[in-house]
Amino acid sequence: MASESPSVAISTPTGSTAFRAGFVDTIPLWLGVAPFGAIYAVSALTAGLSPAQTLAMSLFVFAGASQFTAAGLFAAGVAPFTIIITTLVINARHILLAAALAPFMRQASPAARAGIAFQLTDETFAVGMRRFLTSQGSPAYQFGTNLSLYCIWQASTIAGMLLGSLIPDPATYGLDLVFPLTFIGLLMPLLRDRVSGLVAALSAALTLAGALLLPGRWYILIAGLVASGIGAFLARQPHTTIAQKEKV
Amino acid sequence: MTIWLTILGMALVTYATRVTALLTLRGELAPWLQRWLGYVPVAVFVALILPPLVLAEHNDTRVLTVGPALPAGIVGAVVAWRSGNVLLTILAGLVCFWAMRWLGM
Repeated sequence: MASESPSVAISTPTGSTAFRAGFVDTIPLWLGVAPFGAIYAVSALTAGLSPAQTLAMSLFVFAGASQFTAAGLFAAGVAPFTIIITTLVINARHILLAAALAPFMRQASPAARAGIAFQLTDETFAVGMRRFLTSQGSPAYQFGTNLSLYCIWQASTIAGMLLGSLIPDPATYGLDLVFPLTFIGLLMPLLRDRVSGLVAALSAALTLAGALLLPGRWYILIAGLVASGIGAFLARQPHTTIAQKEKV
Repeated sequence: MTIWLTILGMALVTYATRVTALLTLRGELAPWLQRWLGYVPVAVFVALILPPLVLAEHNDTRVLTVGPALPAGIVGAVVAWRSGNVLLTILAGLVCFWAMRWLGM
Protein backbone atom coordinates (compact mmCIF):
# COMPACT_ATOMS: atom_id res chain seq x y z
CA MET A 1 0.00 0.00 0.00
CA ALA A 2 0.97 3.64 -0.38
CA SER A 3 2.45 4.03 3.08
CA GLU A 4 5.27 1.54 2.56
CA SER A 5 8.72 3.05 2.92
CA PRO A 6 11.35 2.25 0.25
CA SER A 7 13.70 0.76 2.82
CA VAL A 8 11.13 -1.84 3.79
CA ALA A 9 10.44 -2.67 0.16
CA ILE A 10 14.06 -3.09 -0.87
CA SER A 11 15.70 -4.85 2.05
CA THR A 12 14.50 -8.22 3.20
CA PRO A 13 12.28 -7.12 6.04
CA THR A 14 12.94 -8.53 9.44
CA GLY A 15 9.99 -10.13 11.16
CA SER A 16 9.09 -7.17 13.33
CA THR A 17 9.51 -4.61 10.51
CA ALA A 18 7.27 -6.63 8.22
CA PHE A 19 4.77 -7.14 11.03
CA ARG A 20 4.62 -3.41 11.69
CA ALA A 21 4.29 -2.63 7.96
CA GLY A 22 1.37 -5.06 7.67
CA PHE A 23 -0.33 -3.52 10.66
CA VAL A 24 0.11 0.07 9.41
CA ASP A 25 -0.83 -0.72 5.79
CA THR A 26 -4.20 -1.97 7.04
CA ILE A 27 -5.13 1.14 9.01
CA PRO A 28 -6.82 2.79 5.96
CA LEU A 29 -9.27 -0.13 5.96
CA TRP A 30 -10.36 0.60 9.53
CA LEU A 31 -12.83 3.30 8.44
CA GLY A 32 -14.75 0.86 6.25
CA VAL A 33 -14.84 -1.89 8.87
CA ALA A 34 -15.61 0.11 12.02
CA PRO A 35 -19.25 1.02 11.20
CA PHE A 36 -19.94 -2.63 10.44
CA GLY A 37 -18.46 -3.79 13.75
CA ALA A 38 -20.46 -1.22 15.68
CA ILE A 39 -23.71 -2.13 13.95
CA TYR A 40 -23.01 -5.82 14.57
CA ALA A 41 -22.74 -5.11 18.30
CA VAL A 42 -25.97 -3.13 18.31
CA SER A 43 -27.87 -5.88 16.50
CA ALA A 44 -26.40 -8.64 18.71
CA LEU A 45 -27.51 -6.83 21.88
CA THR A 46 -30.93 -6.18 20.33
CA ALA A 47 -31.15 -9.91 19.54
CA GLY A 48 -30.80 -10.64 23.26
CA LEU A 49 -27.13 -11.59 23.49
CA SER A 50 -25.30 -10.42 26.60
CA PRO A 51 -22.41 -7.95 26.21
CA ALA A 52 -19.98 -10.78 27.03
CA GLN A 53 -21.51 -13.01 24.32
CA THR A 54 -21.50 -10.14 21.83
CA LEU A 55 -17.79 -9.52 22.42
CA ALA A 56 -16.95 -13.24 22.57
CA MET A 57 -18.35 -13.70 19.08
CA SER A 58 -16.10 -10.92 17.76
CA LEU A 59 -13.10 -12.35 19.62
CA PHE A 60 -13.51 -16.00 18.66
CA VAL A 61 -15.52 -16.10 15.42
CA PHE A 62 -14.17 -12.83 13.92
CA ALA A 63 -16.18 -13.02 10.69
CA GLY A 64 -18.53 -10.09 10.22
CA ALA A 65 -21.07 -11.50 7.79
CA SER A 66 -21.68 -14.63 9.84
CA GLN A 67 -21.70 -12.74 13.15
CA PHE A 68 -24.30 -10.31 11.88
CA THR A 69 -26.38 -13.10 10.36
CA ALA A 70 -26.15 -15.12 13.58
CA ALA A 71 -27.48 -12.15 15.54
CA GLY A 72 -30.53 -12.16 13.28
CA LEU A 73 -30.90 -15.93 13.66
CA PHE A 74 -30.63 -15.72 17.46
CA ALA A 75 -33.33 -13.02 17.42
CA ALA A 76 -35.56 -15.28 15.31
CA GLY A 77 -35.06 -18.20 17.72
CA VAL A 78 -33.42 -20.43 15.12
CA ALA A 79 -31.98 -23.78 16.29
CA PRO A 80 -28.25 -23.72 17.24
CA PHE A 81 -27.37 -26.39 14.67
CA THR A 82 -28.88 -24.30 11.88
CA ILE A 83 -26.95 -21.24 13.05
CA ILE A 84 -23.69 -23.20 12.99
CA ILE A 85 -24.32 -24.68 9.52
CA THR A 86 -25.30 -21.27 8.16
CA THR A 87 -22.06 -19.89 9.63
CA LEU A 88 -20.12 -22.63 7.86
CA VAL A 89 -21.66 -21.81 4.47
CA ILE A 90 -21.18 -18.04 4.85
CA ASN A 91 -17.53 -18.58 5.83
CA ALA A 92 -16.78 -21.35 3.32
CA ARG A 93 -15.09 -18.72 1.15
CA HIS A 94 -12.20 -18.72 3.67
CA ILE A 95 -11.20 -22.15 2.33
CA LEU A 96 -10.33 -20.49 -0.96
CA LEU A 97 -8.43 -17.65 0.69
CA ALA A 98 -6.42 -20.07 2.82
CA ALA A 99 -5.69 -22.31 -0.18
CA ALA A 100 -4.40 -19.34 -2.20
CA LEU A 101 -2.24 -18.24 0.73
CA ALA A 102 -0.89 -21.72 1.53
CA PRO A 103 2.00 -21.76 -1.00
CA PHE A 104 3.41 -18.53 0.51
CA MET A 105 3.11 -19.80 4.05
CA ARG A 106 5.10 -23.02 3.79
CA GLN A 107 8.18 -21.30 5.21
CA ALA A 108 6.30 -20.68 8.46
CA SER A 109 6.01 -23.29 11.22
CA PRO A 110 2.70 -25.15 11.60
CA ALA A 111 2.05 -23.25 14.86
CA ALA A 112 2.59 -19.91 13.10
CA ARG A 113 0.30 -20.97 10.25
CA ALA A 114 -2.38 -22.05 12.72
CA GLY A 115 -2.09 -18.67 14.44
CA ILE A 116 -2.22 -16.65 11.22
CA ALA A 117 -5.25 -18.66 10.06
CA PHE A 118 -7.26 -17.62 13.11
CA GLN A 119 -7.48 -13.99 11.93
CA LEU A 120 -7.64 -14.51 8.16
CA THR A 121 -10.30 -12.32 6.52
CA ASP A 122 -11.22 -11.18 3.01
CA GLU A 123 -9.74 -7.74 3.63
CA THR A 124 -6.40 -8.79 5.09
CA PHE A 125 -6.06 -11.59 2.55
CA ALA A 126 -6.22 -8.90 -0.16
CA VAL A 127 -3.63 -6.75 1.62
CA GLY A 128 -1.25 -9.64 2.27
CA MET A 129 -1.63 -11.17 -1.19
CA ARG A 130 -0.79 -7.88 -2.87
CA ARG A 131 2.55 -8.06 -1.04
CA PHE A 132 3.16 -11.73 -1.82
CA LEU A 133 2.52 -11.16 -5.54
CA THR A 134 5.27 -8.53 -5.63
CA SER A 135 7.56 -10.91 -3.71
CA GLN A 136 7.65 -8.62 -0.68
CA GLY A 137 5.17 -10.54 1.42
CA SER A 138 5.93 -12.65 4.44
CA PRO A 139 4.02 -14.52 7.12
CA ALA A 140 4.98 -11.71 9.56
CA TYR A 141 3.45 -9.12 7.22
CA GLN A 142 0.30 -11.23 6.91
CA PHE A 143 0.10 -11.52 10.68
CA GLY A 144 0.48 -7.75 11.00
CA THR A 145 -2.40 -6.99 8.64
CA ASN A 146 -4.55 -9.69 10.25
CA LEU A 147 -3.96 -8.38 13.77
CA SER A 148 -4.62 -4.81 12.64
CA LEU A 149 -8.11 -5.70 11.43
CA TYR A 150 -8.68 -7.86 14.51
CA CYS A 151 -7.95 -4.88 16.77
CA ILE A 152 -10.34 -2.51 14.99
CA TRP A 153 -13.03 -5.22 14.94
CA GLN A 154 -12.85 -5.61 18.75
CA ALA A 155 -12.67 -1.84 19.29
CA SER A 156 -15.67 -1.18 17.05
CA THR A 157 -17.63 -4.01 18.70
CA ILE A 158 -17.04 -2.40 22.10
CA ALA A 159 -17.86 1.06 20.70
CA GLY A 160 -21.08 -0.34 19.26
CA MET A 161 -22.05 -1.84 22.62
CA LEU A 162 -21.51 1.53 24.33
CA LEU A 163 -23.24 3.57 21.60
CA GLY A 164 -26.04 1.05 21.25
CA SER A 165 -27.39 1.91 24.68
CA LEU A 166 -27.64 5.55 23.55
CA ILE A 167 -29.59 4.73 20.36
CA PRO A 168 -32.84 3.05 21.37
CA ASP A 169 -34.03 2.19 17.86
CA PRO A 170 -31.22 2.06 15.26
CA ALA A 171 -33.69 1.26 12.46
CA THR A 172 -35.20 4.75 12.74
CA TYR A 173 -31.91 6.18 11.54
CA GLY A 174 -31.48 3.52 8.88
CA LEU A 175 -28.44 2.19 10.73
CA ASP A 176 -29.57 -1.39 10.17
CA LEU A 177 -28.85 -0.68 6.50
CA VAL A 178 -25.11 -0.60 7.24
CA PHE A 179 -25.17 -4.40 7.02
CA PRO A 180 -26.61 -4.78 3.48
CA LEU A 181 -24.71 -1.69 2.30
CA THR A 182 -21.40 -3.16 3.46
CA PHE A 183 -22.09 -6.30 1.47
CA ILE A 184 -23.20 -4.33 -1.57
CA GLY A 185 -19.78 -2.67 -1.35
CA LEU A 186 -18.08 -6.08 -1.30
CA LEU A 187 -20.37 -7.68 -3.91
CA MET A 188 -20.26 -5.18 -6.78
CA PRO A 189 -16.52 -5.54 -7.53
CA LEU A 190 -17.08 -9.31 -7.81
CA LEU A 191 -19.64 -8.93 -10.61
CA ARG A 192 -17.12 -8.54 -13.41
CA ASP A 193 -17.97 -11.54 -15.60
CA ARG A 194 -21.14 -13.05 -17.05
CA VAL A 195 -21.23 -16.12 -14.86
CA SER A 196 -20.93 -14.00 -11.68
CA GLY A 197 -23.87 -11.90 -12.82
CA LEU A 198 -25.83 -15.05 -13.52
CA VAL A 199 -24.99 -16.49 -10.09
CA ALA A 200 -26.16 -13.22 -8.49
CA ALA A 201 -29.46 -13.28 -10.41
CA LEU A 202 -30.01 -16.95 -9.58
CA SER A 203 -29.21 -16.34 -5.93
CA ALA A 204 -31.63 -13.40 -5.87
CA ALA A 205 -34.44 -15.57 -7.24
CA LEU A 206 -33.70 -18.41 -4.80
CA THR A 207 -33.40 -15.96 -1.90
CA LEU A 208 -36.76 -14.34 -2.58
CA ALA A 209 -38.54 -17.64 -3.25
CA GLY A 210 -36.96 -19.24 -0.20
CA ALA A 211 -37.63 -16.30 2.09
CA LEU A 212 -41.26 -16.02 1.00
CA LEU A 213 -42.13 -19.73 0.83
CA LEU A 214 -39.96 -21.45 3.45
CA PRO A 215 -39.88 -20.91 7.22
CA GLY A 216 -36.68 -19.79 8.95
CA ARG A 217 -33.57 -18.69 7.10
CA TRP A 218 -32.93 -21.75 4.95
CA TYR A 219 -32.79 -19.49 1.93
CA ILE A 220 -29.22 -18.44 2.88
CA LEU A 221 -28.01 -22.04 2.62
CA ILE A 222 -30.07 -22.86 -0.48
CA ALA A 223 -29.17 -19.71 -2.42
CA GLY A 224 -25.54 -19.77 -1.23
CA LEU A 225 -24.86 -23.37 -2.24
CA VAL A 226 -27.16 -23.92 -5.23
CA ALA A 227 -26.53 -20.65 -7.10
CA SER A 228 -22.75 -20.97 -6.69
CA GLY A 229 -22.86 -24.66 -7.64
CA ILE A 230 -24.76 -23.91 -10.86
CA GLY A 231 -22.32 -21.09 -11.60
CA ALA A 232 -19.38 -23.47 -11.19
CA PHE A 233 -21.11 -25.98 -13.46
CA LEU A 234 -21.77 -23.35 -16.14
CA ALA A 235 -18.25 -21.95 -16.12
CA ARG A 236 -16.66 -23.89 -19.00
CA GLN A 237 -13.25 -22.41 -18.41
CA PRO A 238 -11.93 -22.88 -14.89
CA HIS A 239 -12.59 -19.80 -12.80
CA THR A 240 -9.29 -17.92 -12.65
CA THR A 241 -8.40 -17.91 -9.01
CA ILE A 242 -5.77 -15.90 -7.25
CA ALA A 243 -3.86 -19.14 -6.72
CA GLN A 244 -3.67 -19.63 -10.48
CA LYS A 245 -2.83 -16.01 -11.29
CA GLU A 246 0.01 -16.14 -8.84
CA LYS A 247 1.73 -18.82 -10.93
CA VAL A 248 1.76 -16.69 -14.08
CA MET B 1 -25.66 -21.75 27.92
CA THR B 2 -27.12 -22.65 24.53
CA ILE B 3 -25.94 -19.32 23.14
CA TRP B 4 -22.40 -19.91 24.43
CA LEU B 5 -22.29 -23.39 22.88
CA THR B 6 -23.61 -22.00 19.60
CA ILE B 7 -20.87 -19.34 19.59
CA LEU B 8 -18.31 -22.08 20.30
CA GLY B 9 -19.64 -24.10 17.37
CA MET B 10 -19.52 -21.04 15.11
CA ALA B 11 -15.94 -20.38 16.18
CA LEU B 12 -14.90 -23.97 15.47
CA VAL B 13 -16.44 -24.25 11.99
CA THR B 14 -15.12 -20.80 11.05
CA TYR B 15 -11.61 -21.66 12.21
CA ALA B 16 -11.83 -24.93 10.27
CA THR B 17 -12.51 -22.97 7.04
CA ARG B 18 -9.43 -20.84 7.72
CA VAL B 19 -6.88 -23.32 9.00
CA THR B 20 -7.45 -26.54 7.06
CA ALA B 21 -5.82 -25.53 3.77
CA LEU B 22 -3.00 -23.65 5.51
CA LEU B 23 -2.00 -26.74 7.48
CA THR B 24 -2.76 -29.60 5.10
CA LEU B 25 -2.81 -28.41 1.48
CA ARG B 26 0.21 -29.66 -0.50
CA GLY B 27 -0.75 -28.71 -4.03
CA GLU B 28 -3.93 -26.92 -5.03
CA LEU B 29 -7.61 -27.45 -4.36
CA ALA B 30 -9.51 -29.57 -6.89
CA PRO B 31 -10.61 -27.34 -9.82
CA TRP B 32 -14.33 -28.04 -9.30
CA LEU B 33 -14.04 -27.05 -5.63
CA GLN B 34 -12.13 -23.88 -6.55
CA ARG B 35 -14.81 -22.95 -9.07
CA TRP B 36 -17.61 -23.61 -6.60
CA LEU B 37 -16.01 -21.71 -3.71
CA GLY B 38 -15.16 -18.89 -6.11
CA TYR B 39 -18.86 -18.22 -6.67
CA VAL B 40 -19.99 -18.76 -3.06
CA PRO B 41 -19.31 -15.14 -1.98
CA VAL B 42 -21.46 -13.73 -4.81
CA ALA B 43 -24.32 -16.12 -3.97
CA VAL B 44 -24.09 -15.64 -0.19
CA PHE B 45 -23.72 -11.85 -0.35
CA VAL B 46 -26.85 -11.57 -2.54
CA ALA B 47 -28.76 -13.78 -0.07
CA LEU B 48 -27.68 -11.50 2.80
CA ILE B 49 -28.27 -8.20 0.96
CA LEU B 50 -31.69 -8.71 -0.56
CA PRO B 51 -34.03 -9.53 2.39
CA PRO B 52 -33.31 -6.35 4.42
CA LEU B 53 -33.92 -4.28 1.27
CA VAL B 54 -37.14 -5.75 -0.10
CA LEU B 55 -38.79 -7.87 2.62
CA ALA B 56 -40.78 -6.88 5.69
CA GLU B 57 -41.77 -9.29 8.47
CA HIS B 58 -45.27 -9.24 9.88
CA ASN B 59 -45.86 -11.84 12.61
CA ASP B 60 -43.71 -14.61 11.20
CA THR B 61 -44.70 -14.08 7.58
CA ARG B 62 -42.54 -12.19 5.14
CA VAL B 63 -43.95 -9.93 2.44
CA LEU B 64 -42.37 -8.03 -0.44
CA THR B 65 -42.20 -4.35 0.36
CA VAL B 66 -40.88 -1.19 -1.25
CA GLY B 67 -39.62 1.37 1.26
CA PRO B 68 -36.66 3.74 1.57
CA ALA B 69 -34.32 0.76 2.02
CA LEU B 70 -34.58 -0.32 -1.63
CA PRO B 71 -33.53 2.99 -3.24
CA ALA B 72 -30.80 3.29 -0.59
CA GLY B 73 -29.51 -0.12 -1.69
CA ILE B 74 -29.65 0.82 -5.37
CA VAL B 75 -27.76 4.06 -4.76
CA GLY B 76 -25.23 2.08 -2.71
CA ALA B 77 -24.85 -0.42 -5.56
CA VAL B 78 -24.16 2.34 -8.12
CA VAL B 79 -21.58 3.94 -5.82
CA ALA B 80 -19.97 0.57 -5.11
CA TRP B 81 -19.85 -0.19 -8.83
CA ARG B 82 -18.16 3.13 -9.64
CA SER B 83 -15.88 3.50 -6.62
CA GLY B 84 -15.30 0.02 -5.21
CA ASN B 85 -15.18 1.77 -1.81
CA VAL B 86 -17.15 0.22 1.05
CA LEU B 87 -17.23 3.32 3.26
CA LEU B 88 -18.50 5.52 0.39
CA THR B 89 -21.13 2.88 -0.35
CA ILE B 90 -22.39 2.93 3.23
CA LEU B 91 -22.47 6.74 3.36
CA ALA B 92 -24.25 7.11 -0.01
CA GLY B 93 -26.88 4.54 0.97
CA LEU B 94 -27.53 6.18 4.35
CA VAL B 95 -27.75 9.68 2.85
CA CYS B 96 -30.29 8.36 0.34
CA PHE B 97 -32.26 6.73 3.19
CA TRP B 98 -32.27 9.94 5.24
CA ALA B 99 -33.30 12.00 2.18
CA MET B 100 -36.23 9.65 1.50
CA ARG B 101 -37.27 9.90 5.14
CA TRP B 102 -36.98 13.68 5.08
CA LEU B 103 -39.15 13.79 1.97
CA GLY B 104 -41.71 11.72 3.84
CA MET B 105 -41.40 8.56 1.75
